[in-house]
Amino acid sequence: MVERRNIFLHGLSLTLRRFPALLWTYIFNLGLAFLFSIGLNHQLSSLLNHSLAAQRLSNGFDLGIVGEVLLRFNQSPVGEPGIAAGHASIPLYLLIYFILVPGTLFCYLTSAPARLGTMFQQGLLHFWRFVRITILFLIAAALILQPLNFFQTKWSDFVDDRFVGRPAFLCISGGYIIVFVAATVLRLYFDLVEVYTVQLGLICFSNGKPDRRVHRTLRPALRTLFARFAHAWPIFIFLTLLGLAAVVLTARVSMHMLAQPIVWPSFLLAQLGLFLMLFTRFWQRGVETALALQNPIALPIATVTPLNHSGSRIQLISDPISAVPEPISDPEPAPPSLDEPDPGVFHHDPKPPL
Amino acid sequence: MLRIHFLTAATALLACISAQSQTSIATNSPGGQPLSNRIVAYTIDARLDTDKKSLDATETLTYKNLTTQSLTAIPFHLYLNAFRAESTFTRETHSNGGVRDSETDNEYPTEKLGSITISHIDADGYGDLTSAMHFIAPDDGNAQDHTVTEITLTHPLAPNDSITFHLAFHDQFPLSIARNGYKRDFIMGGQWYPKPGVYWHGAWNCHQYHATTEFFSDFATFNVTLTLPHRYIVGASGVPTGEIVNPDGTKTLSFHGEDIGDFAWAASPHFTITDSIYLSSLGPVKIHVLALAAHPRAGQRYLDITRKTLAQFDRLYGPYPYKIITVIDPEPDSEMGGMEYPTLFTGGTTWFRDPTYITDQTVEHEFGHQYWYGMVATNEFEDAWLDEGINSYTEVRILEEILGPRTSTFNRSYANASDAELQRLQYLLVADYDPVTRWAFKFRDSTSYGGVTYGKSATLLLTLEAIIGRDTMDEAMRTYFTRYRFTHPSTEDFLRTIEQVAIKNGRATIAGGSVITSSTETTQVIHDHGAAVTNILGQGPGLKDSAGLQTLRPDLAALFNTASDPAVVPISSLRPFFNQAVYGTQTLDYEVDSISSNPIQWWLPEPKDKKQIQYLSTVYLHRKGDFILPATVEIFFSDGTRLRERWDGVDRWTKFTYTRNAKIVSAEIDPDHIIPLDGNFFNNSYTTNWNPTPARKLTNLWLSFNQFAAQFIAWIV
Repeated sequence: MVERRNIFLHGLSLTLRRFPALLWTYIFNLGLAFLFSIGLNHQLSSLLNHSLAAQRLSNGFDLGIVGEVLLRFNQSPVGEPGIAAGHASIPLYLLIYFILVPGTLFCYLTSAPARLGTMFQQGLLHFWRFVRITILFLIAAALILQPLNFFQTKWSDFVDDRFVGRPAFLCISGGYIIVFVAATVLRLYFDLVEVYTVQLGLICFSNGKPDRRVHRTLRPALRTLFARFAHAWPIFIFLTLLGLAAVVLTARVSMHMLAQPIVWPSFLLAQLGLFLMLFTRFWQRGVETALALQNPIALPIATVTPLNHSGSRIQLISDPISAVPEPISDPEPAPPSLDEPDPGVFHHDPKPPL
Repeated sequence: MLRIHFLTAATALLACISAQSQTSIATNSPGGQPLSNRIVAYTIDARLDTDKKSLDATETLTYKNLTTQSLTAIPFHLYLNAFRAESTFTRETHSNGGVRDSETDNEYPTEKLGSITISHIDADGYGDLTSAMHFIAPDDGNAQDHTVTEITLTHPLAPNDSITFHLAFHDQFPLSIARNGYKRDFIMGGQWYPKPGVYWHGAWNCHQYHATTEFFSDFATFNVTLTLPHRYIVGASGVPTGEIVNPDGTKTLSFHGEDIGDFAWAASPHFTITDSIYLSSLGPVKIHVLALAAHPRAGQRYLDITRKTLAQFDRLYGPYPYKIITVIDPEPDSEMGGMEYPTLFTGGTTWFRDPTYITDQTVEHEFGHQYWYGMVATNEFEDAWLDEGINSYTEVRILEEILGPRTSTFNRSYANASDAELQRLQYLLVADYDPVTRWAFKFRDSTSYGGVTYGKSATLLLTLEAIIGRDTMDEAMRTYFTRYRFTHPSTEDFLRTIEQVAIKNGRATIAGGSVITSSTETTQVIHDHGAAVTNILGQGPGLKDSAGLQTLRPDLAALFNTASDPAVVPISSLRPFFNQAVYGTQTLDYEVDSISSNPIQWWLPEPKDKKQIQYLSTVYLHRKGDFILPATVEIFFSDGTRLRERWDGVDRWTKFTYTRNAKIVSAEIDPDHIIPLDGNFFNNSYTTNWNPTPARKLTNLWLSFNQFAAQFIAWIV
């Protein structure tokens, strides 16, 4: 019988026990942004380091000077391409995130240590599955959120015709909250799909190949979402808001340090906020993993066999999804096993023939 | 039951008393004398349909021909006709953008259709002129424009004669567009009645309504009654003179205005009233604030900043002569905020506590138009910089007094911004596209119009203030206001006033000029343009009286004492600046190209006491832009010495060399930071004491933003 633990705490425990997974993700988040900021810093330095006019940014934070820096940047030949190149860290991070997330989920599910190698290996194994899930998510978002956005626009127009000030703000915000709620439900569902996809990937067919079928996870994820919605969604939304609150709070405090002639306190605070935001996201993943462990995709009679040094894999003895045929219906027969090495292939006699 | 407020009667009685005691109902004019020539007298009786957003009115208009010409036709503005797909206004906003709300879609929204239709017009002694009315398009020949109509008179109107027209017209207000129309149940009546053009400089000046133009009209008196549903509260130009409650659930409000060039009103059932009295140097002024109930703090905020602004204008430039100033809080998200009309303007604020001073800036700016447009009634079609530009300059000047020089836009412990910086940034966006004197509808686009007319004008006047000194600039502005209030001055009138006061105060020198004594004869007085350039900061020799003030040479007295005489073309030491900054598109950019300090005896070993080393130090300055302005540079040495040098800036570069026992630490052009017209502040200085903090601060912001964006986008996974 599956043990029913508090998913909130279980999720936290998973996150903390596999802390390096979060740490590696944050390092990539910071590292890539840092790497792609070097060029910008170089250009800013050449513009500001030797200018007395820039001193108004040293012992204060004069927005007029900031505006002029932006203007100079946009008008310089390297300006717009430079800024675009600076943003290149975002798609790169996204790419790496596609790899790190399945790796993290694998570690959460299997208790394998969250080593970078393990995460990358598992991430690469799951990469296309996660790309397919993301495409599904985007399609679902377009189908669900687009109409909601349309209604939200109509609602805003309706409110705008009748109300002003705080009542109008509250009414329009109400509409946005509905869209936000729908988005969180959608995200939670696809998060579960991702966890189940990794869980399904742990199950090997009798031929030793993992199950890579994403569509097999859609229904179990939906079933779990419905069954545990009252538990899962409040936690998901709470952690989302907690992460946002952390980033807003630290950004605000960090903003109040802008006028100081030192940068590192502001930097550290901003990083703390960003780290906490990422932490709550990984906590959400932990909660979702806890849910998946309590509501596994199948209850196979399985043996966990070590799969090299990077982790574990469940090998099915009897296929629980027995109704589903093997994707390759008529696999090539296994080569016959020989009692001893084939002398024609493996045997090597160093002595020359007489 | 018919409830009649006897305010009308009381006001009439007051008017009689006022007349007896030689006072005016609407102004604090000493002795009740008219302040302007009052060329037009309007009596308008209007009924507003708040459901259909339309208005029907009759208008009686008396026009006095104070020109020396017989007039055979009179053009009228019909601005509301601009809000149609076929108009020049829409054509321009569609292709080049407008200052407010651009119709970029390929379908003109029906709710934004506006119109004004004159159903009948006749004139005393001229008969029915309805058929003599025809649309004209003096600017672009667009026959479908319909924003100007011309009425051909059956016989000429002789000089000093008057003509009284009787019109009936119908307005259809559009949904909030370009200062006009309605938003929810708020209705703004701006440019809502047929208004004649201005006979100016020997011809009718009656431009079509354009995407980037405002208005121009003669001074007039107004008696306006407006009938509308009882629940509405109305603010209007002039002073309210009465209110009659009608049995059909409506009320009729009446207003009287004197010495004003336009009449506007705003109506909403949601206005709350906050009033106060300011005692100006001419008499009491009622500050009448109509703020929306949805903005509970707005009334007091509008009131406070209006009072402070009034006090500063009174102190710096001259008294506000009207008895009332009405502040309208427009509906949020409408295109009617931040607009000026005589004795009335619209502000703009938020329901939440806005951390910036944008609301205060808006109020200050729009109040400033009471001076620069309302009283000094320049042609906003042709000399937009004289109202928007000068007003942006005085906005900077007065907000500095009220809110602080570096904090007049944003003032928090962690960051600041000033209005002057915002104006400068606007200018830098479009620094060299158009001169400020270009006609408003001939600018490259609305961005250039905005950046140059507001931003560059304010920035060049701040630079001018630095050149001639703040006291002299204040005096010149005061002189300009006093001399030209209730008239229609031009760019040269303004510039010559500046020159005259600057020369009187010894802050500019006489470089030359021409006095055209007849149509064929020109007396050359002095021509010394080179001297003008070098003397631009008042450094050149001048004639000084015993008090040290510059006096006019007798032969030049005519030149600078007849400022409004078009036959006089003065050339002061300020002319090169005016030619480049006002009439030209030159850009100003000076840079410290390099600094260096090398031991003179570089082949000798370095002594232990480094103070014994003699250095040959060099500073190279470079004029990158095509704007020539003498520059001051401050060189700072490692022994604490500061030296100031001057460079005329005529050549493209110059160098200064020094032999001292100290190295150069820094060199800075414009060390007092008084030339905001310079397009790049960062290259104005170079210091060997490099400071990486500014770059790091900005990089940190960039880094954090990118990290956040990356995490945010990663939610799709």
